Amino acid sequence: MTNSEAAKIVRTLLCRGLTNQQAEQIVNAMVPTTVPAGGAVFREEERAKGLFVLLEGTVEVVKEDGGTAVVIASVEAPSVLGEMSLITDRPHSATVRARSSCEFRLLTRAQFDRLLQAESVAAYKVVATLADVIAWRLSRMDEKFVELSRRGEYPRPVEELATFKQKLFNEWNY
Amino acid sequence: MSGFEEVNYYFRKAARVMDLSAHVERMLVTPFREVKVDVSITLDNGELGTFIGYRVQHDNSRGPMKGGLRYHPTVDMDEAQGLASLMTWKTAVVNLPFGGAKGGIAVDPKILTPRELERLTRRFVHQIHDIIGPQRDIPAPDVNTNAQVMAWIMDEYSRMHGFSPAVVTGKPVDLFGSRGREEATGRGVVMALEEYLHDAGQGEVRGKNFAVQGFGNVGSWTSRFLHDKGGKVIAVSDVRGGVLNRAGLDITRLLEHVRTTRSVTGFPGTEAITNEDLILLEVDVLVPAALGGVITEDNVKDVRAGLVLEAANAPTTPKADEILHQRGVVVLPDIFVNAGGVTVSYFEWAQNIQQFTWDEERITSELSRRMREAYATLSRLVRERKVSFRTAAFIVAIGRVGRATVLRGV
Repeated sequence: MTNSEAAKIVRTLLCRGLTNQQAEQIVNAMVPTTVPAGGAVFREEERAKGLFVLLEGTVEVVKEDGGTAVVIASVEAPSVLGEMSLITDRPHSATVRARSSCEFRLLTRAQFDRLLQAESVAAYKVVATLADVIAWRLSRMDEKFVELSRRGEYPRPVEELATFKQKLFNEWNY
Repeated sequence: MSGFEEVNYYFRKAARVMDLSAHVERMLVTPFREVKVDVSITLDNGELGTFIGYRVQHDNSRGPMKGGLRYHPTVDMDEAQGLASLMTWKTAVVNLPFGGAKGGIAVDPKILTPRELERLTRRFVHQIHDIIGPQRDIPAPDVNTNAQVMAWIMDEYSRMHGFSPAVVTGKPVDLFGSRGREEATGRGVVMALEEYLHDAGQGEVRGKNFAVQGFGNVGSWTSRFLHDKGGKVIAVSDVRGGVLNRAGLDITRLLEHVRTTRSVTGFPGTEAITNEDLILLEVDVLVPAALGGVITEDNVKDVRAGLVLEAANAPTTPKADEILHQRGVVVLPDIFVNAGGVTVSYFEWAQNIQQFTWDEERITSELSRRMREAYATLSRLVRERKVSFRTAAFIVAIGRVGRATVLRGV
């Protein structure tokens, strides 16, 4: 896939606010990568390489659970993987494997930092988009939390008054 | 640390010993109600005078709330809050069926004429009459308020709600006041001391020597009762300074001297002593009976008294209190020692409700019984839990208020 074709996909996926020129600037900073079917794009607990844009092919997200690998999702091109690695240094939380032969563009953390240092407007737009994604996930998590606590899956609050009463009538009854 | 911060400091200390949860602690400290009102009056010169009045009602789980009304420029919500909670704990320590409250008006009464003071008081009653009452909240005299102010409050409240002498205490004896109210705090102070001496196997007041700082209502009555019981009051002081006679002062003649000269200073047959030096005298019992914060971490190492009897509110700072405790100097705390005042206020209220007056003998014996019972409880706690008398007093108070609260339900 040519750089300008990749740029169109990057613009759609990462940030609609990017001009074509800015999208190309990002793509130029990226490294083309291919992974054959069955190969690992990155592994759980591995230090994050950077953000992967999946241009062609299908991958599956696999989580290790007590020695057995469980497929928790499958993702088709075009899509973005490992976007948080641009912001944090945490290792990958899951393994991503190519189901078919896949074509990627990889934006490493180092490259991205260089763009930021050069005050690239494009890079800042990407950061703004990531912030948006995080905010959305956080609000989803809040909803999920409320839902779970309603279901009583969390421990019930301590009966503080009962404890207090017990204490006053038994231990401190003066 | 200001007075109300100290209250919360000692409260938290007791709460930690009892291992209360932060939420329970917060529930107990948070006032029931806080009210701030405009008190505007026409001054004698025709101008408009606007003052701010406050009433904080801290807790009513054990009964109607009780506490003083002060007229002082520094009165504000924070101060009222701390003092209101202190009243909750104090009434609980002596087991009166009352909660705690405090309030007042931010005003310097010395700039007001008596007529203005009366108008101000009546106006204040107008503003708070629906939150006070014989079964709700019963004010009492405090800084710069006296029996006359209480009489005005009773009158104004009664105009609105019908005859209600029990709406305030500390009224003049000729207007539903109680016998023995005037000397109640001093009498209670000496009763507290006698209970301790007896319990600790230290004999009686007779033959012991005392230094009393402050010769207002509490200091002078305390000195008189100590003197009557054969105690040797070797030094007393007021704002102008103090007098010392190591052979013991003749309190009866000293009272006469104060009546004519308005001060203890210059009393014949004595040497002068400053308020600062009085605190450091080598005596059996030191009685701070005036200001707060007179025993501090700066002078506590030079305090040579064997026992500190806190007739005033908060005379010992928390740091100094800690150091005295470590040195083994017993401090009988304000919250218990000066509770005789509010106890006789309770008797006044009870007499008003009953419309039956008690004679002085009954007042004294009921007061004695309550101070004795309170002391016995504190003493048991001090022995069993190895805490100071002050912490014991807060623990007893928290226990009583807490039990009433949970039994009623939240």
